[in-house]
Amino acid sequence: MSNNQLSASATSEPAIDKRKWLKPSILAGIVVLIALLPMIHGSNYIMHIFILTFIYIIAAVSLRTITISGQFPLAHAAFMGIGAYLAGMASKWLGWPSWLTIPSAAIVTAGIGMLIGYPFARLRALYYAMGSLFFGIGVIYIVYAGGIWSGGYAGLTAIGPLFPLGTSKIYYYYFFIGLTVVCLLALYRFEFCRIGTTLKAIAQSHLVASSVGINEGWYRILAVGVGCFFAGLAGASYAHYNMVLSPASFGFMATLWLVMYVLIGGIDSFAGPIIGTAILVLLPEFSRDLKVYSPFLSAVLLLIVVFLMPQGLVGLPRLIRSWYSERKKGKKIAHVSGN
Amino acid sequence: MFLETKGLTKYFGGLAAVSQFDMWVNEGEIVGLIGPNGAGKTTLFNLMTGVIRLTKGQIIFDGKDITGKKPHQVAELGIGRTFQLNPLFANFTVLENVRASFHLHPRSSLLDIYFNTKKYRRNEAYILEQSLEILQLVGLDKVKDDLAKNLPHGYQKMLGMARALATKPRLLLLDEPLGGMNPDEIDFTKAAIKKTQQQGMTFVVVEHNMQIMDLCDRVVVINFGQKIAEGLPKEVRENKDVIQAYFGREHAA
Repeated sequence: MSNNQLSASATSEPAIDKRKWLKPSILAGIVVLIALLPMIHGSNYIMHIFILTFIYIIAAVSLRTITISGQFPLAHAAFMGIGAYLAGMASKWLGWPSWLTIPSAAIVTAGIGMLIGYPFARLRALYYAMGSLFFGIGVIYIVYAGGIWSGGYAGLTAIGPLFPLGTSKIYYYYFFIGLTVVCLLALYRFEFCRIGTTLKAIAQSHLVASSVGINEGWYRILAVGVGCFFAGLAGASYAHYNMVLSPASFGFMATLWLVMYVLIGGIDSFAGPIIGTAILVLLPEFSRDLKVYSPFLSAVLLLIVVFLMPQGLVGLPRLIRSWYSERKKGKKIAHVSGN
Repeated sequence: MFLETKGLTKYFGGLAAVSQFDMWVNEGEIVGLIGPNGAGKTTLFNLMTGVIRLTKGQIIFDGKDITGKKPHQVAELGIGRTFQLNPLFANFTVLENVRASFHLHPRSSLLDIYFNTKKYRRNEAYILEQSLEILQLVGLDKVKDDLAKNLPHGYQKMLGMARALATKPRLLLLDEPLGGMNPDEIDFTKAAIKKTQQQGMTFVVVEHNMQIMDLCDRVVVINFGQKIAEGLPKEVRENKDVIQAYFGREHAA
């Protein structure tokens, strides 16, 4: 008996090893496929849509970093906007190069996020959502009030490009693939080390967390800081990509979209926001008709997810599997009782 | 004195949940804190651990004034606690609950954690080993991979204690450790408490269940937020005020 167990474990070990490499290699394969896309269908428009998707993926996953700590801010697009406008204005008025504006805008956004997060760390649930909502709306009004400095209602123009003017879009495409991969790896590590575990513990019970010595308030602020850093980074790189900024792109609707990406993709897993963003941004691009109705379509999708797929689109395969096995079981029982 | 409260008072609006409460605990003792429902026992724990702010009074732990400290600071100073309604990290496994609770000793810096340094890996290996040891002590080693929320009630209570032990406390405040347990679990829990005491732990135990009495070195009885008796378990059991508080006036006569 014990011999059997031993041999079983000995043979299963390489299998575990293989599994360990399965996921990373699939992911690497997907990245390579995306990288090869311009060779197959090289239109600038497709590349543009993918670049936007990459930017929103960074933003949505950074929102998730905050939500795992049990906070659900409704101002994430505003933090993207802060990063974008800081980078844009530093580029336009100070003439800073993009390799300087993007990281510094991200750091300042993180700082602002943590400052805002400090009083907010005392708020919970609905109050937190409301507080952050008003902050997000306030940011847009500050941009409106900024006059010539921020471009006001008309938007900020003449932001320096990431690469010299006339550079082919494919450079941007690869730049954003690289940026997204790096950001996702960084955020993945953050979530799946002890820091992320601590944040998830706080989300489950802040009372218990503080009783074991976790400085709950500080960790919540840390999560906001990291989330805002990457939101700011996404916004700042968007500014240098688009070269024109409009306050409306960072308003409440934009925040709601990010929330939708996270919820529809699946709030319980790291892949959720990535898949949610990819589907919700890319799907409407397949046809103009879809695009017109995309808010409606997303609402329906959200309802379906809320009522039928508590784990989001990510949980779909698991859901189908369990549904299928239950059906099989049900048939068996029907068969037996029929006899 | 290890723990001392002086004139502890807490008003909720106009209602005095706790008033002028003095008690002390010596190192290595098990002190029972008993009293009828709503007497203010849990409020006392919440005051001692900084979960709620006290209106008046002073709390001294190991020579340090800990009045007004926040819960995580109190834990850092060496006071662990469990909860009556026993909240958990419900979606973590039993082992994950304990591992996540090893937040203080050993402590890794954020950078060590993030960059997976040697120090962090060494700390985590130590934490795993210690977690398994604690789970064995409280008898949860067989269910270590079960989700905490799926555990039966008695096990969840023990998990609360395991989590508190993970903070390496010197004083442990247990809020109804025997609540809702079956006789076997009660015996097991009592043995675990006794064993931990022998290793040098000090306890304050809030309990309804009178079976805790034979474990206690001293008992403090509270009713309507005020101390009505204290002494050896035997003395307290025969105290008229106590009997009256528990069973009413007629029985006391």
